[in-house]
Amino acid sequence: MSTAMNFGTKSFQPRPPDKGSFPLDHFGECKAFKEKFMKCLRDNNFENTLCRKESKEYLECRMERQLMAQESLGKLGFRDLMDEESETKKNS
Amino acid sequence: MVPVKDRIIKVTFNADVHASLHWNFRPQQTEIYVVPGETALAFYKAKNPTDKSVIGISTYNVVPFEAGQYFNKIQCFCFEEQRLNPQEEVDMPVFFFIDPEFAEDPKMAKVDVITLSYTFFEAKEGHKLPVPGYN
Repeated sequence: MSTAMNFGTKSFQPRPPDKGSFPLDHFGECKAFKEKFMKCLRDNNFENTLCRKESKEYLECRMERQLMAQESLGKLGFRDLMDEESETKKNS
Repeated sequence: MVPVKDRIIKVTFNADVHASLHWNFRPQQTEIYVVPGETALAFYKAKNPTDKSVIGISTYNVVPFEAGQYFNKIQCFCFEEQRLNPQEEVDMPVFFFIDPEFAEDPKMAKVDVITLSYTFFEAKEGHKLPVPGYN
């Protein structure tokens, strides 16, 4: 792919990510969670909605190993999964 | 943030390296289907096949251009130097969402595919790359 050619006056302005950069997982500490997530995608026609539990687990793995800043999972868009989890805990 | 469940968008992924960077860099999925307002995870993979440590830095692009304003990266591997040791291979995640307002924008009504492209450059001392936040 060649560099972007701007024929118009507008150009795409890349923005840095909200929460910065993920440190590299040099030792593959969360690789198993990534594999689980990728398998879920392959099994579900690459629909993200059906693999959110797996993506949450991957991010939790990172947080537990200092590979991601601690953040409330509700704030990362997983509030509905957290509510489900606490419902199950309550009923068991 | 409430997901707009009936508006499915296909996000496709491209990966590029600048000629002087000898990394193997590729997306781990060609596409993922998301809805606005729902956070999503995707992966790239990078390998340094050389026998020297190499530091890379990446930037990204979104097409169509007008969809870029709705593409929000919560966290990724871009805009900061990333060092790969000789023969090292790492997973590189992108955690993002498409703003729910995308579904309200009449100009976006016909947009069903958004393409995210990352390009890695070699980070060399004294070089200034046109990426935000790089110093």
